[in-house]
Amino acid sequence: MLRILSWRLFTLVPSIILLSIVVFLALHLIPGDPAVAYLSASQLPITEEAIERVTIELGLDRPVWEQYVSWFSSALTMDFGTSYMTGEPIVEEFLFYFPATVELSVWAFLTVILFVIVLGSASAYFRKTWVDYGSRLFSIVGASLPSFWLGFLLLYVFSMTLGIFPSGNRGTFAHYVLPVLTLAIPYIAIYSRLFRTSLLEVEKLPWMFSARARGLSEKTIWIKFQLRHGVLALLPVLGIVMGYLLAGTFIVENIFSWPGVGRYMMNAIVQRDYPVIQFYILVIACMFLLINLIVDLLQAWLDPRQRHQKDGVKHV
Amino acid sequence: MIKRTYFFVGMSLFFLITACSSGSVKSETNELVIAWPQDIGAMDPRGYGASQMFAQNLIFESLVQYNDEGEIEPLLAEDWEQSEDGRTTTFYLREDVQFSDGSPFNADDVKANFNKVLDNRERHAWLELANQLQEVNVIDEYTVELTLSEAYYPLFEELALVRPFRIAKEVDGQYVGTGVYELQQHDREERAVFSGNEHYWSHSPEVDRLVVQVIPDSESRMMALDNGEIDLVYGNGLLSMDAIQYFEDQEGFEVNQSDPQATRTAVLNTNRGPLEEESVRHALVHSFNTNQVVQDVFYGTEEPATALFGEHVPYMPSVEPFDYDLDYAAQQLEEAGWILNEEGLRVKDQESLSLSYVYDANDAIQRTVGEWLQHGAGQVGIAVQLEGVDNQAYLNAQKSGEFDVIYQETWGAPYDPHAFVSSMRIPAHADYQAQLGLEQKAEIDQMINQVFITTEESKRTDLYEEILQEIHDQAVYLPVSYTSTIAVYHDGISGVEFAPIPYEFQLEKVKKNASDS
Repeated sequence: MLRILSWRLFTLVPSIILLSIVVFLALHLIPGDPAVAYLSASQLPITEEAIERVTIELGLDRPVWEQYVSWFSSALTMDFGTSYMTGEPIVEEFLFYFPATVELSVWAFLTVILFVIVLGSASAYFRKTWVDYGSRLFSIVGASLPSFWLGFLLLYVFSMTLGIFPSGNRGTFAHYVLPVLTLAIPYIAIYSRLFRTSLLEVEKLPWMFSARARGLSEKTIWIKFQLRHGVLALLPVLGIVMGYLLAGTFIVENIFSWPGVGRYMMNAIVQRDYPVIQFYILVIACMFLLINLIVDLLQAWLDPRQRHQKDGVKHV
Repeated sequence: MIKRTYFFVGMSLFFLITACSSGSVKSETNELVIAWPQDIGAMDPRGYGASQMFAQNLIFESLVQYNDEGEIEPLLAEDWEQSEDGRTTTFYLREDVQFSDGSPFNADDVKANFNKVLDNRERHAWLELANQLQEVNVIDEYTVELTLSEAYYPLFEELALVRPFRIAKEVDGQYVGTGVYELQQHDREERAVFSGNEHYWSHSPEVDRLVVQVIPDSESRMMALDNGEIDLVYGNGLLSMDAIQYFEDQEGFEVNQSDPQATRTAVLNTNRGPLEEESVRHALVHSFNTNQVVQDVFYGTEEPATALFGEHVPYMPSVEPFDYDLDYAAQQLEEAGWILNEEGLRVKDQESLSLSYVYDANDAIQRTVGEWLQHGAGQVGIAVQLEGVDNQAYLNAQKSGEFDVIYQETWGAPYDPHAFVSSMRIPAHADYQAQLGLEQKAEIDQMINQVFITTEESKRTDLYEEILQEIHDQAVYLPVSYTSTIAVYHDGISGVEFAPIPYEFQLEKVKKNASDS
């Protein structure tokens, strides 16, 4: 088990290095000049001399490969440089903004799990009734609304018209409701249908038949067999959802004025803050890779068949 | 049964929380809440980049300031005198000033702050004063003397700027100032709370607590203002034109706009193609319907411009505006030999009259101005091609002069007119490139040089008048509109005023009525 784990961690290294090169090159290819962005954010006159001075100050006058080598060698010592705009170390800034994003994503994640299981099993249990049709309608609408639109819609109804929830910023419990819902609704919409389908698929399997033959109560069958297998099918997908939630807070953080990394990244893109963008993409990529790893491990733990297979014992 | 109890408890908890949270949405009466799209950044008087000028201005003061008429008046310096040659200026400081931590302010603070600017001269070189300033001497506790390398008349204008020549003191790694507010609390990327400086030497703010709420999205700002979380939205471009229109129609809101600040123009290149002819330039400026553009594009939130600078700008002579007159425009073209062909285009010597308009493709206003220019010019037979390019290419076109017409804004107070006119001599500016075709270009540059070193006020006025009149008569600039700062606020708010400089918000004068709660 440990051997597999360390091997998997080791294989991540070349992909991360390759990714950093691609991102570095891509950043220098997009139009727009960080020096100009810096000057205009500072309300300074954009003259040729000023651009030249800032370009040298930011070290952007050197050839791209030289910039990459110097970035890479300091990255090895965990020094990812300073932001062009604030001059602060990026790791520190990132760690400052990251907790707010994690907070938001974790709440959204829990909301997704709760509603997917409730909605999915309800529509499987009561299939072809109004519960099922209602949840299907919700899924179609929820999955097709773009999140910025959903966010504004929620804001318009609950904040502007009804005045129940504040329009943004952190603070009380009420501040969480709208951003968490905006983040969670699209995923609930998609995965509650998926969960329903996998529950129904389990029903057709032979051991369900034998469980019934053994005279187990429907309740036991539902909880111990059907639901457990359904959750198992959901697990790898949920891992990806967590990744998407962490990386997909851009729009929500902007609409609801949430002080997280999504907004930090958004500003960095507008201001062409190369080192910040570079660092963010690497962190998110590593996070996805790690989450995948964790999901694999969890799956092995929950499903004895897989665990034993990897240890070389075959079950028929 | 148990399940049902859980469900019931859960639901009632949810409703309880929702009920508690409602009503807390509105702002408190004893504080003024404004919205700003980003964090105020580091409060360093010499900080650029993320540091927001309006916030720096709340905390730090300069030796002199602009008054409402755009003239220089005393602030931390009570009085001053200049030497004969204009190189040395002695400032007499106020003696009753304290920093917000209670420590006294004196000439040493001025020297320490200005020396920090000089230590990083490169960084502040965009401002000519940073290059001109040679020495700062403390004469006595409340007297300080500045020595420049030449007599540089915009000394006072540049001292008044928000950065870098403001006065601060470092206390425990934080800068404190002598300004009307002090920074009380700063939750990065969420809010900044300012409170009145209790050691302030002049009037305290009307509302003691000022909260700057960070709201990056303009639609969210609009909703926050609408439901009362925000009292006031103050600043340029913070709300969309549609949102401003909405609040104008909505009861319970005021929309207020400042006097004109900077000018939106289209620069005509006198050194390229058909625009080398003065009559073609005149035809173009007279075919542009400024009043209509202001109504349709800006919903009347900006004033139509009549010249490169409005009459509010110092030294700007009063000039004859270019009226919208298609007949006059057509007549100008006819007289210059541009004949209308059967496709409705002007032709001379088998050459058709066609111009390019270069603009930054990401800026919707620049494009709309181009469309109106195209429309007006089309009516008199001038074809205009719109060339939307990325920001970098737009700046390159300015530098190289590769444009017939290009969109440009003036810099606004306090840079207009002196810093703007000064840049007309520099080849990397669109203004220099566009004026190259003028017979009098060398003469104009000569006059600009004179303006900056003459010590006689009357002579300076004459020179400016001659320069600006000449440029106007030659129709180098097509004036579009004057930008202004917009404030939208609830009825309970009063005393909203505008300073002549866009980033000096006079928030200390804003009052909030208790009835608004």
